[in-house]
Amino acid sequence: MPILTLKFKDNVIKEYDLEKGKSLSIGRREENNIVIDNLAVSGHHAKIDSVGEGFLATDLQSKNGSFVNEQFISTHWLKHGDVITIGKHSIVFEYKDGETKPETANPQENMDQTMVMDTNSYKSMLAKSSPNAASPDISKEPVGVLSYVAGGQGEVEISKKLFKIGKASTNDIVVSGFLVGQVAATISKRPGGFFFTYSGGTSKPKVNGVSVTESVQLKDFDVIEIGSAKMHFFVK
Amino acid sequence: MVVIESKGISDVGKKRTGNEDAMFLDDSMNLYVVADGMGGHQAGEVASSIVVETIRDYMKQFKGKGVTEELEDTDESISRGANRLVSSIHLANNGVYGLSQKNESYEGMGSTVSAVLFTDESLIAVNVGDSPIYLIHKDEIELISVPHTVLAEQAAIDPDRAKNLAPRFAHMLTRAVGIGETIKPDVCETPYFKGDILVLSSDGLSDKVAPEEILKTVGKEQTNKACSALVDLANERGGDDNITVIVLKVKDKKNQKGWFAWLMSKIGKIV
Repeated sequence: MPILTLKFKDNVIKEYDLEKGKSLSIGRREENNIVIDNLAVSGHHAKIDSVGEGFLATDLQSKNGSFVNEQFISTHWLKHGDVITIGKHSIVFEYKDGETKPETANPQENMDQTMVMDTNSYKSMLAKSSPNAASPDISKEPVGVLSYVAGGQGEVEISKKLFKIGKASTNDIVVSGFLVGQVAATISKRPGGFFFTYSGGTSKPKVNGVSVTESVQLKDFDVIEIGSAKMHFFVK
Repeated sequence: MVVIESKGISDVGKKRTGNEDAMFLDDSMNLYVVADGMGGHQAGEVASSIVVETIRDYMKQFKGKGVTEELEDTDESISRGANRLVSSIHLANNGVYGLSQKNESYEGMGSTVSAVLFTDESLIAVNVGDSPIYLIHKDEIELISVPHTVLAEQAAIDPDRAKNLAPRFAHMLTRAVGIGETIKPDVCETPYFKGDILVLSSDGLSDKVAPEEILKTVGKEQTNKACSALVDLANERGGDDNITVIVLKVKDKKNQKGWFAWLMSKIGKIV
């Protein structure tokens, strides 16, 4: 397994053995595996993880940054001879003589490639990477609601991706009124929110008192007026 | 009636030897599909081409006026057109998954899919995975697909936490076509306007080119020029992955109004 040599200028301070499956932390605080007692070094400055056959250096968003071969890094796959600079100290990453080195610096090059994970490995990887991460609940989507102020009663959920309002009986909300369109307006649910769009009819629908001639994004408690109906919009 | 001008390019990029992306464009069907396959050897290419071909062949039957049998389990929250498109993706899922179960070398293969269908009343965008669909309306660009990646899903819950996730999660999908027996695509249906532009791509583009840059490029160029400009930009920045881009512009849109609506609109003008 490779070793890390901690140096200050040209003086070797200490050597550390890397082991497969073990992480090493670097920082000013004493609980780190590699302690560098210098004010230029953050409490928890960087870490080196064993990943597959290789080792990955990661800066822990330190104040003064971490550098490998004088390049600023956030993460870096270590290869033989790399010099990590932290403050005024340097750490040299080297394989021992005769030791087999991984063929590519980045054994996980395929990580760049898209991959899919099933729910279980998703959860376990997340737990490792970020202990507090919640697994997403895809069933919990925001639901838009229209609540009648006039021209009707109660609440209507926007149950469709493209929700139609107008005079025709095929609409999701049927409204009456002179010159109101057969389909007067639609509300579409997009990843970015709910959008209210004028569709037809001479009498233009209004949102917050302003005639809509094209499309507006709805906000909570916007007031929609179409023909005889007046409704509040909100997201549940 | 909708008139669409479209152009698509699928480029192998600078680093890969094969192209695992697939695409389909048809201005007479008003159907546009991008699929980004994954899996060892040639499996990724197989998966993405099954996806694209299945969707194409399924949707083709609705092109004429002949009524054909439709799959069951229609979802009432989406339109008929969207139901058809979703059905075609379910079929594609069966095809890819079935093949991966039968053939050892195809084990674990899968594909993203992002498809756009225009009907007279709305545009329908359906996706599984992380191939983005952007809608550009009046100089604003909006992502109308839902990225099914670990990173995006965590970001939706807690943006701060997502920042601390390892970079590998950016490419880790939570859903893909052909990975399991069932699949749940995300559907977006929305009205569209003359002048609107849509961009469908694989992550080979979206990893290298920001939405604002896409907006700038497609805003000033013709569709075919915009398409090649975007591919060139991704290649200049490394071209690490296959790059597929479809750019389409809504050139014209005519509402098929009934005579009554037409009459009312005339009366309205007089009144």
